[in-house]
Amino acid sequence: MGDYKLNRRKFIGMTALAGAAFASPAYIRRASASGGEVNIWTYNDFVPKSFKKQFEAETGIKINIRLVDDQGKQFNLLAAEQPNPTVDIMTVAGHRFLQFIDSKLLAPLDTDRLKNWGKINPTFSESDWATINGEKWGAPILSGMEVLAYNSELVSMEEALTWDTLFSDKYSGQTAYIIQDMMSIVMLMLGYDGNMVAYLNDPDKAAAIVEEAKQFLIRKKPLVRKYYDSGAEVQQMFVNQDIALGHSWNGPAAALINDGFPLGMTIPREGSYGFVYTYNIANNAPNLDNAYTFLNAILASPEIGASMTKASGFISTYKDASKYLTDLEKRSTSFPEEQLANLQFFRAEANKMKYGLVDPAVEAVKAA
Amino acid sequence: MRRGNRIVLACIYWAFVLYVFVPLILMILMGFKDSKFIGFPIRSWTFDWYTGIFSDAEVLYTFGYSVIIALLSTLISVAVGTWIAVLLESRKFWGRAFTFGLMVLPALVPGIISAIAFRIYARWLEIEPGMGAIIWSHAVHNVPFVTLVVMARLSTMPKSQIEAARDLGADPLIAFLRITLPYLVPAILGASIFCLLLSFDDFVRSFFLGGYEPTLPVLIFAMLRSGMSPEINAISTVALVLTAAIGIWAERYTRNANKGSL
Amino acid sequence: MSTEGSVSNDREGPVKTGDERSFWGRLANWGPYQTLMSFVTISPRRQFFILAAFPILWLLTQHLGPMLQMLRVSLLDAYPVAPDVAQEFSLESYFKFFGDPIFWMPLFRTLIFAAVFTLCTLLITYPIAYFLARHVSRKNQMLLLLILLIPFWVGEIVRTYAIMILLGNTGALNLALKWLGLIDRPIPFMYTSFSMGLGMVYLTALYMLLPLYSALEKLPKSFNEAAADLGAGAWSRFRKITLPLTIEGISSGCTLVFLISTGFYATPVLLGGPSTTVFAETIAGFFHVAGDEWPTGAAFAVIMFIVALLVTGVFQRLMKSLRKGESS
Repeated sequence: MGDYKLNRRKFIGMTALAGAAFASPAYIRRASASGGEVNIWTYNDFVPKSFKKQFEAETGIKINIRLVDDQGKQFNLLAAEQPNPTVDIMTVAGHRFLQFIDSKLLAPLDTDRLKNWGKINPTFSESDWATINGEKWGAPILSGMEVLAYNSELVSMEEALTWDTLFSDKYSGQTAYIIQDMMSIVMLMLGYDGNMVAYLNDPDKAAAIVEEAKQFLIRKKPLVRKYYDSGAEVQQMFVNQDIALGHSWNGPAAALINDGFPLGMTIPREGSYGFVYTYNIANNAPNLDNAYTFLNAILASPEIGASMTKASGFISTYKDASKYLTDLEKRSTSFPEEQLANLQFFRAEANKMKYGLVDPAVEAVKAA
Repeated sequence: MRRGNRIVLACIYWAFVLYVFVPLILMILMGFKDSKFIGFPIRSWTFDWYTGIFSDAEVLYTFGYSVIIALLSTLISVAVGTWIAVLLESRKFWGRAFTFGLMVLPALVPGIISAIAFRIYARWLEIEPGMGAIIWSHAVHNVPFVTLVVMARLSTMPKSQIEAARDLGADPLIAFLRITLPYLVPAILGASIFCLLLSFDDFVRSFFLGGYEPTLPVLIFAMLRSGMSPEINAISTVALVLTAAIGIWAERYTRNANKGSL
Repeated sequence: MSTEGSVSNDREGPVKTGDERSFWGRLANWGPYQTLMSFVTISPRRQFFILAAFPILWLLTQHLGPMLQMLRVSLLDAYPVAPDVAQEFSLESYFKFFGDPIFWMPLFRTLIFAAVFTLCTLLITYPIAYFLARHVSRKNQMLLLLILLIPFWVGEIVRTYAIMILLGNTGALNLALKWLGLIDRPIPFMYTSFSMGLGMVYLTALYMLLPLYSALEKLPKSFNEAAADLGAGAWSRFRKITLPLTIEGISSGCTLVFLISTGFYATPVLLGGPSTTVFAETIAGFFHVAGDEWPTGAAFAVIMFIVALLVTGVFQRLMKSLRKGESS
């Protein structure tokens, strides 16, 4: 019976595809290389073109890249492909690990197979968020953070040193932020732990804190111009002068600075959160050996790290990558020591509780 | 009075043309901006974005890939959609309203939902993601538009023509192919344009059902992550010019073909 | 268009099935084909079943299939799950919606927006469709329609960003107004209901234009002329004749636009302001941001779909009674 069902399903599928599939097979598989292939889901420009060319020439392994544009979509796609994914390597942000691990979508990383592991700055490779269940789950490549970005012709550096300016009457109607991210930051502003790890055993306290942050954002809603979603949006708002200052990730802000736009960014004194993009190996990856070959190769030289930074605006996790940046690029990807001291990384341990509370709060703020 | 009406209406038409074209013109303009971001003021101009597109085979390849997907999915939609329209217009039958409801379903489901529903369904049917799966999802999604347009046309068809043919001994298939089908040509052409457009612009379904080759909208979404650059505008302009050229050629071609038959 | 063409084609000799020389004649006299056709046409009943078999199969497997999968997911307690975890049926996702008023507002707002945009689109496109169908020669109708279609070949996102640089504080419109000396400070057009509406009409115009155009095109010109001869004024001619006769097109255009605009996502998200969250955004949040709440997202989608269908059902009823009222 089970067999029959399978065949029937296949049959329906085949009939649906019949007209389409045989029409142009050349497009379906462009080329198959001698050394096999490695399938990667990543953001545009996270695998530099020159590196790709060189890697394919040297190893004979073909790199297939599937472009993605956010974390949730990768999760959805991978979940839909389980238990036999097509993908070998994904690009997951460190604080999203737990969700992938819980759904058994990631394989732990065998760092002994990566002789270039040591080329990563230990701040990132040995950080507290990087180890879960005693294993490493990803190779850090780029680091991002939540910053306060401001048009330096309209806002002074001093004003930008505190998140309060983002909520001040002075810049009413000239600010923008991502609400989800802002919830964590507001908790930090109010003196709480935005990762909520401290309240894992005290759900009532956690709920009260989220409620307080929610009320704060609702109170400040008349002052905001736009709740946005993507980096491209906040860049466009700055260019169009629709906003004078806003919360942003450092990557999109750095890209504007590198293009000559009068933009500044700070990690305000109340603190902020950082996150790290990593390359991860999928559970049941079809080309496991090639995946390790790829990871080892991409970690090999700080120059590769620098070219990722140039393309994305995020900070490289490679040791000495900044040597290969121009002065402007260096400026847009570094912060004064005293500001960096305010930074902490997102943690995933309490995510289930945190987002169980934060997601409805975000809806409530939007609906208010 | 009639003349006055006509002038007012013509003004409304051209005002609407202006409304739809102004963003288009801005988009084309920005493709020449020498900066990584679109927007005013424009300090200097460049052709680099265009030379970049034509020196990098990737973008043109992606364009071709999207066009082929659009054409094949349209072909399927038109064939299936017309067949369904003929069934629905043929006569009253039990469950006709239900069949009609089923027919319009894919058009009314929000994109993200339809895309994920297709993805779950494709997995269940064991259809591999890739070109075939994208064509399949586009074809299914576009069927209702074909059926609705063809049904509207069918309902205006004089019954006498078919009856005359049947009286002369033509069987239903030949009567359909020789009389009904030619009568439906304008509707089918119109529906095809619509399907091509929907397929060419589709992001969600292409993303969820695609493999490692991006379609044009998927590529643009991925590029957008590093900012709305003039490069994206240049790509869109090139795609626009190429599709417009194909469209104008097709319009000319069918017009001439029609003239020839008259 | 080619209506006349095909008719005149057939006039020269309807269907000469008996003609041995033509392709059709040869086909009709070809043995296997005759056997096939006599098998098919043995009874109207069998003929109908053969005509209906494929469409019904397609509709059930291709149109209904994905939606049933969606419905199934909405009734699960977790999806996607790890391979070794059992799933159970649950109505929890539906309770989530009805248990929390914060989700009602975006749904309600979406319905209002969709209704308003539908009305706006109708008011804008009706004169255009009327102009094309009644005042333009047949030869040019297709061309003028195609002109309107050109901008739609640009992807939704790229077009939406073009609207941003049109309406932004340093956008083309504000620059033009400033240059004309009409304003000193830029007017904040962006991130308001206005900018959102401007972007949405772009998306909906096509769906409205085509049904209206085909309804108006069908209308015989002689009706209006006869009424004019009887001395009816332009407005009363329009109200008494054109409008009632095109109400079918209006109703189908409005239904289509309303249902489609409840599902718009990218444009309202990019062009809307902080208080214009639409329900599609809420739904997408369960798939995108959280990534692992498919059942909730699916349940919300089912709810939105049913509500939108109910509204259009009521609307259709209304139009029907209106039509009856007009004709009596």
